[in-house]
Amino acid sequence: MATDHTNSPAETGADSGGVFSGFLTWMENLSEAAYAYLLLIPGFLLLALVAFYPLLSTLRMSLLADETRGAEPLGGFVGLENYIDVFTGDTRLSRQVIDVALTSDFPFLELGTPFFRQALFVTLAFAILSVLFETIIGFGQAMVLNQEFEGRRWVRVAIILPWAIPIVIQGMLFFLMFQPTVGFGSEIMQSIGLFGDNPLASSRDSFIIVLVADIWKTSAFMALLILAGLQSVDRSLYDVAKVSGATPWQRFKLITLPIVMPALIVAMLFRTMDAMRVYGIIESTASCSTVPSMTCLVIDGLFGGTRIYGTAAAVAFLTAALIGVFIAVYLAKFRDSEGGFM
Amino acid sequence: MSLEQTDGQKVYTNDDDSEEPEIDRGLFEAWAAKTIKNPKRTYKALFYTATIFFLVTTLFPFYWLFMVALTPRRNLQDVGLVPSGFDPSLLAQGDLTMGTNPGVFLEVFTIIPFHRYMFNSFVIATVTTIVVIIVASLAGYVFGRLRFPGKGPLMLLVLIVSFFPPAAFFIPLNDLFNTNIDILRPILADGSLYNTPYAMVVPFSAIFMPLSIFILTTFYSQIPDGLEDAARIEGTTRLGALFRVIMPLSAPGVATAGVLTFIAVYNEFFFSFLMTDGSADNWAPIVDGILQYQGQYEVLFNVMAAASIVGVLPVAILVVVAQEKIVSGLTAGALKE
Repeated sequence: MATDHTNSPAETGADSGGVFSGFLTWMENLSEAAYAYLLLIPGFLLLALVAFYPLLSTLRMSLLADETRGAEPLGGFVGLENYIDVFTGDTRLSRQVIDVALTSDFPFLELGTPFFRQALFVTLAFAILSVLFETIIGFGQAMVLNQEFEGRRWVRVAIILPWAIPIVIQGMLFFLMFQPTVGFGSEIMQSIGLFGDNPLASSRDSFIIVLVADIWKTSAFMALLILAGLQSVDRSLYDVAKVSGATPWQRFKLITLPIVMPALIVAMLFRTMDAMRVYGIIESTASCSTVPSMTCLVIDGLFGGTRIYGTAAAVAFLTAALIGVFIAVYLAKFRDSEGGFM
Repeated sequence: MSLEQTDGQKVYTNDDDSEEPEIDRGLFEAWAAKTIKNPKRTYKALFYTATIFFLVTTLFPFYWLFMVALTPRRNLQDVGLVPSGFDPSLLAQGDLTMGTNPGVFLEVFTIIPFHRYMFNSFVIATVTTIVVIIVASLAGYVFGRLRFPGKGPLMLLVLIVSFFPPAAFFIPLNDLFNTNIDILRPILADGSLYNTPYAMVVPFSAIFMPLSIFILTTFYSQIPDGLEDAARIEGTTRLGALFRVIMPLSAPGVATAGVLTFIAVYNEFFFSFLMTDGSADNWAPIVDGILQYQGQYEVLFNVMAAASIVGVLPVAILVVVAQEKIVSGLTAGALKE
């Protein structure tokens, strides 16, 4: 071997190459399972750092007392006290998560603060209404895109475009549209009696603005997922149905809907999860104090007037739990009927 | 006159009130008969109405935004379908702007360094996309092509991450990135990640990775085993087979995952807004740039509109160029999950 007795830099290079090729050889000889775990390490390291560790840490924080002064933001262990305080409204958050009292008269509930000032109601109402409208509009868009026609490519671009724009620009767009000086939206809504004098300061009106903004942006997402379902429908089924004399409505109800259902449910599940986290569009149009969502309260607890990390963590975990409940309901309701989408 | 004419045409005359209901029905019946004979016509009409409705609702806000941007500041009270003050006759007098204010698109960059915010967003989105593609390729290869115990639970673990709201990750990450870590001192000024692009690249990589993993799993699993085996017999290493054979063969899938990740990062609000102090020199992305115009001492609605248009352009171009990828990626990724 020529390189055995030389002491040149080339040998050091060959040495490090040796280490590297040694690593490669070692990798070549791993069993399939060991190789699989090795390749998964980078991904799971990243997830551990950004997701698993922070989640557990948030859970721990939510069980510690708030320290509003002093060097350390968190005090001793208080168990579920933060969660209980959040429900009883005994916190320093600028808005209530929920504030209702039981009464003896119908409907047996009394709102302590207006409906649109309670984070839980705002979040739930937003999630349910936005997903409902997005499903209907998305279905319409998908039906249009499912046809063969001249210029379909460009119609598709137009429908996807709102989905692809940054949330902050979507917020700016709707802020301007409903801004009393430049915008036209408020005037239209006021003329049909839906909005009051200053929509961007009213919780109810702002809620509607945020809702419309979200529907405008994300219907396309629903449309694309539903379209995927529509395109898996075997066209010959329609021919058979036509020959047997089924009306268009029957064809839709008995062929299209059942086949699209799994895609539709997945799409609704995704959208519900997303809608429950709503924050950016609120912050950039109406501001969090006008339309308080759950995520808004977390940020309020962190950066608001008083430092209440424990409460903020509890609200964050309640949001996650709320999303978990919705997912469980979806899965329980649709798992057996449509099997195989997970 | 009208009385001698046929039923269908009588509707255009109204000199005989007593006959009008019957005439109306005649027209309706004629229309109904036509529809029954030719239902395709009705569907076509319905289809065109729906298409036009969707086109107007999705595109009109952009058009209006453009009009607001072009309107001179003194006319902002009345923005219409054309910029207020727009007058084509001015063209004859040599005024190329025709009473509008295209100069606003320069103002966007002079009032605040908006180009710097866009550059920051580009860098953050590009770096995140590269990290996600590499890491998700490894995971997608494993989930799509290898058999090993614990595959199902591990995939579920990846999926679970996307169930949690960013708020649930945020507090500890914010603490972590604000901590001064001594070993980072040589690369970062004060050893903390706050106000650096890493404070966004790291969380984005993890948050948007699951979708890419599922997309790449689908694509990588479709490459025939024979091609990989052939490469291995030729002497390629295991990793070489992934990066030189499987990845190039799945180029459409990789492009899809890349485009979706880039758009998602460019559009993100939560971490982009909270992980920097909002100054362009501290790697704040366009979120902070756009919101800066809201905080100006003078209300600059036309500049806000112009900045929004400038900010939308990159993704709009991406959508036009890569729409097939977006459609196939969203459906493949989501339906897989």
